[in-house]
Amino acid sequence: MPSEVIYEPIEEFGLVEKNKSKALFSKIGVIGCGLVGQNIARVASFFGIEVVFIEVSEDKIREAYKNIEKVLDERIEHWGITSGEKRAILSRIKGSLDYQDLKGCDFVIEAIRAVDRGGKIKERKEIFHKIEEVVDSDCIIATHSTTIVITELSSDLKCRDRCVSLHFFVNHQEARVVEVVRGLYTTDESYQKVCQFVALINRKIVPVQESAGLVSVRIFVVLLNEACEILMEGISNIDDVDQLMRIGFGMRLGPFELADKMGLDKILRWMDNIYNEFGDIRYKPSPYLRRLVRAKHLGIESGDGFYKYDENGKKIVQLNNQRC
Amino acid sequence: MKILVLNCGSSSIKYQLFNMTNRSVVAKGGVEKLGMKGSFLKHVRQDGQVVVFEGEILDHKIGVEYILGILTSEKHGCMKGLEELDAVGHRVVHGGERFNSSALLTEEILQEVTKCIDIAPLHNPPNLKGIRAMEELVPGIPQVGVFDTAFHQTMEPKAYMYGIPYALYKKYGIRRYGFHGTSHRYVSKRACDLLGVDYNTQRIISCHLGNGASVAAIKNGKSFDTSMGFTPIEGLVMGTRSGDLDVGVVHYIMEKEEIGIRSANTLFNKHAGMLGISGISSDMREIEMAKANGNERAALALDIYNYKVKKYIGSYIAAMGGLDILIMTGGIGENADTTREGVLSELDFLGISLDYEKNKGFRSEGIISLPDSKVKVIVVPTDEELMIALDTEEIVSSRTKS
Repeated sequence: MPSEVIYEPIEEFGLVEKNKSKALFSKIGVIGCGLVGQNIARVASFFGIEVVFIEVSEDKIREAYKNIEKVLDERIEHWGITSGEKRAILSRIKGSLDYQDLKGCDFVIEAIRAVDRGGKIKERKEIFHKIEEVVDSDCIIATHSTTIVITELSSDLKCRDRCVSLHFFVNHQEARVVEVVRGLYTTDESYQKVCQFVALINRKIVPVQESAGLVSVRIFVVLLNEACEILMEGISNIDDVDQLMRIGFGMRLGPFELADKMGLDKILRWMDNIYNEFGDIRYKPSPYLRRLVRAKHLGIESGDGFYKYDENGKKIVQLNNQRC
Repeated sequence: MKILVLNCGSSSIKYQLFNMTNRSVVAKGGVEKLGMKGSFLKHVRQDGQVVVFEGEILDHKIGVEYILGILTSEKHGCMKGLEELDAVGHRVVHGGERFNSSALLTEEILQEVTKCIDIAPLHNPPNLKGIRAMEELVPGIPQVGVFDTAFHQTMEPKAYMYGIPYALYKKYGIRRYGFHGTSHRYVSKRACDLLGVDYNTQRIISCHLGNGASVAAIKNGKSFDTSMGFTPIEGLVMGTRSGDLDVGVVHYIMEKEEIGIRSANTLFNKHAGMLGISGISSDMREIEMAKANGNERAALALDIYNYKVKKYIGSYIAAMGGLDILIMTGGIGENADTTREGVLSELDFLGISLDYEKNKGFRSEGIISLPDSKVKVIVVPTDEELMIALDTEEIVSSRTKS
């Protein structure tokens, strides 16, 4: 019996002739490896895709690695993956300072930390330019920004028909859904390619028309503003509002818990941007939220937000907060 | 007559091409990682040569197209053209209460299969995709659906009803359906043939022990009870499935681990069972190796496994009022002599006397009980694909005659 296995390219064996296609999404790039970037890198790598992430310093790269590893360790503890899978996932993720390493990517997403950019669209535009210089003309360039519209971001590019905006949910691991936005220039082909990518990483696609704040962010900021308003009017307290929304509306997390998890500084910037875009008072950041951010109470990350947290990010129960 | 048997899963397609004149397998193989990174097709030619085809295989239709392309290719194929193919048999996981036997897949029947998606949302859609792809690629080819649940449709209500409000059965069809029906049907018939007894007068327990595992009680040629229920998770402890579980545990874990329904589902189906208990693997051989090296949890996992099968055997003997034949099949049942010994030892008081010497290293088809054992214990390698091919042949031939 012959023992050697024969290897063949499959494209030659279809019933109808097929062009040999380059395997799609064998490598993707992530610019900025904060919470969102780490999440995208980890998920894509889990599904077998090579990931290159670009950061601004060696320290940041190390930090991102450390955080990804921490999440994976948690998953192992909670039965989610094996240590072999963890090694495989980490081995597919490569951190770099050099945009040249994005060469050969089919998909690059900009997910820079809002903290670093100071809300300036200019910086994101520059990143888009830098990406365009190294990647092929059919590479998808995406942003994770929800409040800056992709048409504006891509307007100066040579091939602006391949730009989209994606919004992942990173607040809990079962949020397997992505908002996908096509800009004015985006072609059907590019949009389909993005949908293919999202399907590849086992996420549901919710198509959204281009608009600042998309659907999720816009609804959430209004909800949070209203919740803050209720606090300030002394109608209820933080615990009770969250409890009502959780139990009453079947939400996994109440608006304050959710806000603490997402980061209050990020939410404040979202509100500022959407308010600037629409000018509607509903989106204007609540003074309560602004006060917390000024005091550097940014949520779980800083140990203090609407609630207080210990060093493991666990909520510290404060009895005096229970009843008004 | 040449019949292609297809088993379409969510990310895989397994196939075997049969030449029905001598019931031989002409070629077989499978698509793996369908729709994912690193998809490939592994094909085994009749001469045993293994060929791996690498490249993007995005969906079931493209997968089926490549399978047909390879089977008819000059280089690795075994057919001159698609016209040589007479029929296709499909494994369909869930036939609900509608199907108690295999059926020719007409448009009308396909509508019925589509209705079953509701109770088998994970399994039936890929099965249907395979059927539709075949219809598009070779229009008009006769296709037969062989249902995993069909054999167990003879169970009586006392065996298939759960202790839940009756209205839920009426409303959603929540009841025990059982799976592995094609395998249980094949091995029980085959065992009777080998023993030279009348299938319709025997009380049989068939243990299909593979990565998924179930026990079936077959009385007078009809499935009487089986360990899998509404979904394949009920019953025995399996490779990665928990088996029978207190529903209170589900709720408690979800609350403590802060997970939702989907993650809980993954936990009980993919991270539980032998893998979850041993922490080593879902593969019996690796667990046995770890036990040999002194791993206590591996030993515990194996004990739990055997104990559970033993309990089911005991309860089915009671349910049927006796036992004539006990069958071991599936990857573990056919090969793991230690598991067979663990399950069947000390059952002499029930008339089951295992021939410990003969059982050791036994890897083929045949009796492994002592000559004076009241119950015949027999190992029968399962062949679901052949069963599907035989059903397909029968249905297609009778159609041509009429």
